[in-house]
Amino acid sequence: MTDVIVLAGADERDLTQLDEYRAVGGYAQLERARGMAPAAVIDELNGANLRGRGGAFFATGRKMQFIPSKEQNPRPHYVCINADESEPGTFKDREIMNRVPHRLIEGALIAAHAVDSQHVFIYIRGEYLDPFESLRAALEQAREADLLDGVTIVLHRGAGAYICGEESGLLESLEGKRGQARSRPPFPAISGLYASPTLINNVETIATIPKVLELGGAAYAKIGAPPDSTGTRLFCVSGNVVRGGNYELPMGISMREVIYDLAGGIPDGRALKAVIPGGSSMPILTADQIDVPLEHDALRALDTFLGAAAVIVVDERACMVQLGLRVAQFYMHESCGKCTPCREGTRWMVQLLEAIEAGDAKHSQLDLLLDVCDRILGKCLCPLGDAAAMPVASYVVKFRDEFRAHIDQGGCPFGGESSLEGLFAPVDQHTHHPVVEEGAPA
Amino acid sequence: MSTPELVTVTIDERQVQVPKGTGIVETAAAAGIEIPVFCYEPRLGAAIGACRMCLVEVEGMPPKPQAGCTLTAQDGMVVKTARTSEMARVAQNATLEFILVNHPLDCPVCDKGGECPLQDLTFRYGPGSTRMTFEKRTFEKPIPISPTISIDRERCILCYRCTRFSESVSEDNQLVALNRGAQTMIATFEDEPYTGAFSGNVTELCPVGALLPTQPRFHIRPWEFQSVPTVCGLCPVGCNIDANQREGKLRRILSRNHPEIDEGWLCDKGRFAFTHLYADDRITDPLRRVRQRGLEEISWDEALDDAERLLREAGGRIAVALSGSETNEQAYALAKLVRTGLGAHTAMLPEEVGEGLDAFRAPMSAIGDAELIVVLGDDPVVERAPIVDLWIRKARRAGAEVIQIGPAGDEQVAPGTTAQACRKLRRGELGDRLRASERAIVIWSGAGAGGGSHLAALARDLGFADKPGCGAFYLPETSNGRGVAAGWAAASDEEGAEPEPLGLLIVSGDEAAANPNVRALAERAERVIATTMFHSLAVGWADLVLPGTSYLERDGTYVNLEGRIQRLRRTTVPPAPDELAWLAQLAARFDVELSPYASLVFMELSERAFDGVTYEDLGEEARLPARVPVEAVPKESRDEPAPAKAGKGELQLLRFRPLFSGPAVERVDELQFQRPAPEVELSARDALRLDVKRGDPLLIRSNGTSVELRAAVNKRLKTGVVRIAEEHARDLHPIVEVSKLD
Repeated sequence: MTDVIVLAGADERDLTQLDEYRAVGGYAQLERARGMAPAAVIDELNGANLRGRGGAFFATGRKMQFIPSKEQNPRPHYVCINADESEPGTFKDREIMNRVPHRLIEGALIAAHAVDSQHVFIYIRGEYLDPFESLRAALEQAREADLLDGVTIVLHRGAGAYICGEESGLLESLEGKRGQARSRPPFPAISGLYASPTLINNVETIATIPKVLELGGAAYAKIGAPPDSTGTRLFCVSGNVVRGGNYELPMGISMREVIYDLAGGIPDGRALKAVIPGGSSMPILTADQIDVPLEHDALRALDTFLGAAAVIVVDERACMVQLGLRVAQFYMHESCGKCTPCREGTRWMVQLLEAIEAGDAKHSQLDLLLDVCDRILGKCLCPLGDAAAMPVASYVVKFRDEFRAHIDQGGCPFGGESSLEGLFAPVDQHTHHPVVEEGAPA
Repeated sequence: MSTPELVTVTIDERQVQVPKGTGIVETAAAAGIEIPVFCYEPRLGAAIGACRMCLVEVEGMPPKPQAGCTLTAQDGMVVKTARTSEMARVAQNATLEFILVNHPLDCPVCDKGGECPLQDLTFRYGPGSTRMTFEKRTFEKPIPISPTISIDRERCILCYRCTRFSESVSEDNQLVALNRGAQTMIATFEDEPYTGAFSGNVTELCPVGALLPTQPRFHIRPWEFQSVPTVCGLCPVGCNIDANQREGKLRRILSRNHPEIDEGWLCDKGRFAFTHLYADDRITDPLRRVRQRGLEEISWDEALDDAERLLREAGGRIAVALSGSETNEQAYALAKLVRTGLGAHTAMLPEEVGEGLDAFRAPMSAIGDAELIVVLGDDPVVERAPIVDLWIRKARRAGAEVIQIGPAGDEQVAPGTTAQACRKLRRGELGDRLRASERAIVIWSGAGAGGGSHLAALARDLGFADKPGCGAFYLPETSNGRGVAAGWAAASDEEGAEPEPLGLLIVSGDEAAANPNVRALAERAERVIATTMFHSLAVGWADLVLPGTSYLERDGTYVNLEGRIQRLRRTTVPPAPDELAWLAQLAARFDVELSPYASLVFMELSERAFDGVTYEDLGEEARLPARVPVEAVPKESRDEPAPAKAGKGELQLLRFRPLFSGPAVERVDELQFQRPAPEVELSARDALRLDVKRGDPLLIRSNGTSVELRAAVNKRLKTGVVRIAEEHARDLHPIVEVSKLD
């Protein structure tokens, strides 16, 4: 299938092995890129219109162009790869690191070449032990094969904080500081890690780079839903579907196809209630909106985003107040505590949702909840506050009758019948990251 | 200096011109418009945009509120604040609503009430009522984070000013934020007390009643305070302060930002030691020695009669021991009385302080702007002039290179050899770099300075006289040693030989009374008059004790280490007449004309010593006098005592006077935890050689005297040197032997 790009070859071969990866053309693009001027590499990425896969959809080539030259800024240039995949519903980077770690390393080395950097950091979620081991083994092979060419690649394990997946929180954490967002500007490209020019990108973005070079920017730009949503995404399909998992698909495929044709529909013939298109922080879609093509502009028209392409399917058993509470609890738990609206607002949201679910709220508090969301939205230091406010507000707006019913009936209409099974784990069930062996190289 | 490019910014339809890069908060202020802030405080470094109080609307930027504190002025920028933008108004209102969601509304019993930015901004920008109906977040409270500061975590709005101060101003890194999200709280590491020379500043930085000083707890009603602008008299920096008194009693000392001196920071000694005014052993009445019976309280009339008699009996065979903490006026008045009235010209000044550095003087803020700083001397800067330490740290954060030359320096030299090191500096690579720099500073922190003349010779050689960005600072041991010397000198041109035998010793002030050399002199004197604040000091050996006053109780002037004359104001009424009052009366009995009013004494003194400047000239934010011509620099002192030499198995003792020591600190319970532990610092190599670990009990011996102290290892200390705080070193000689105690 030509449209499998990031995971290409991984079904047929064990691409965690360097020779296998080489057999499918691995590291050929690195060699080619190193023979190209950095600007030419960036041109290819711009030609492909490759956008960031972490959720913000920013043009990768343009981000690289923001990095000043060594003449403009003689400090070391850094490349940071965000492997702190923590948005509830996402598990694509895990699969990339598990199955095609060399593609990520190759992409990282090409990116380093493109921004004239000798130092790459991969900040990996602490709970991800298998991906860490996979990446570590691949890195060892790459090192032995002299592929690094003087570039150091450091694997850094996080300690379990959502905020460290936010680029500036990640940089703080990497510097050994408390994981909290930084005020921008200056953006990382100008002053990032250790106040030096820093390129920071998601795992999937970086792992796409070798294939963009292989196919050529112009050819890549034809895949998916041009002009903006080019290429493929790893859709993480979870929730109430028969066959959850990662599906690498061209952007523009319809939500309906994903849910019913690929993921096998809803188990036991239950009805679809809603679907979250891009991870827990994204506004929800109702069942009648699923003919939307999964690409940026179409989703934008429905006031939501593709985000990290995590499709969370919600069936008729779910109580939207309980789901909202679960989302709000997650973001309250993960708020870093630095800026006021997020720190105080997420806690207030949880209190309001608890009261609604318990049937203790007044109708006016539904509007208050929306107002609290509105007072968080766009007023925080980083997108974490928005990540709590956007989905919850969408639940209230789109399922207002259900929220009202809680108040009218003095409690949850679903009673004990409601199930949030499979819809991302509640905060108190979060696992903690396993301890890695002493002396493990990184 | 190139003039900065001016840009035009529109704030709420008002156009204002400011230098490009000016903060938007300041730009708005220049247009007369307030952008409210909590976390923003330029003295703490780059803006962090955390509190979201300053949200404004900016044309051409994404359609959401922007944090004004993180923006800088660009040409053509159009900013709308809550006055003209609904978006900004709602955003600011939201921030306050969120802050108040969990803030206890205990303003009526909160010490911050009445001077609380949260109260004020809520009044101006916040909601009038609450929509929060749930339980507020609670914490255990109040918790003392040190004996001087308590924290109320429920009131805390997490602006991170305190942690930023601790991390990037005092650099003590003791305040941290624990936990995450709504459960975030400010704490010290492992609940250890917040120890450090500057901790009290966080109580002023805190924009709510979360970090409060414990001393005035429940006595602060800001609208009832009388605030008197004056100057701290506990070290030669001369930080500008506001002394707050309520119902006649001093309750609190606050900083009063002088941007060239203190930048609004105070050390904990200056901030918290004021309660020594109310110590139990404060002398409030004159005391007369009665044979066999010790001291008895007498009236002022009797005291003046006694003093007159003692002065007459001595027949001019009088010496005066000064403290260096007297006001210029007091020193002059005392000198005028004994010198012109009695022909006694012998004074014992606490240390030699010359005027040679006036040709190279610069404001202390020049240290913060420097690119290269060399600190010479035996003593840590923070112990002698704490704020200078903050200026040095500021410079280092901005990229300056700081080189310390001393027994615990980057370049290690033996104690007592600073003068040689200073001369050596003129030659060699570092000297060349100092000479080449337009922003270089040399600082002398320690004894053996020859009144600063060694440093003046260096500065002259380095060509500092022609470079306004370069400066030389000597950190004197006393707070007004320079002014006292000037006041003494101004009273008469005559000189007299030291009287033998000594008929009368006049001991002026507590520091002089505590000085072992003065005590030795007192033993030789037939009679002693002492002026002290506290009982325990001179009462054992004085024939007549007159109550002393504190720098907080006097009118007058001080000269700080820069050579800046600053005004002291009486901030509270002393329990006895101040020194000028009775000196004037006593002077009248010897036909010496002397006013009891500091302002009149100063006029007379100023004509003779300070070019006739007046109190009005000094104002409340005194200017630094211009540099004197370099030709006026006196010759380098040749007075260099040979440093003691240690023999085999012996170590050289380096004493230092800790910041938290002296008669005032000793009388403040809350500051006892800041005093140095009974420790002896050893170099890493000596510790290894003696097989000593941190905390081991050691015996330090010298020539018939010994002390027991715990070991501390200082990796920066020169091998062969041990360092002990003055109060623990006691009578030890300069060469000691150290052995382990079992």
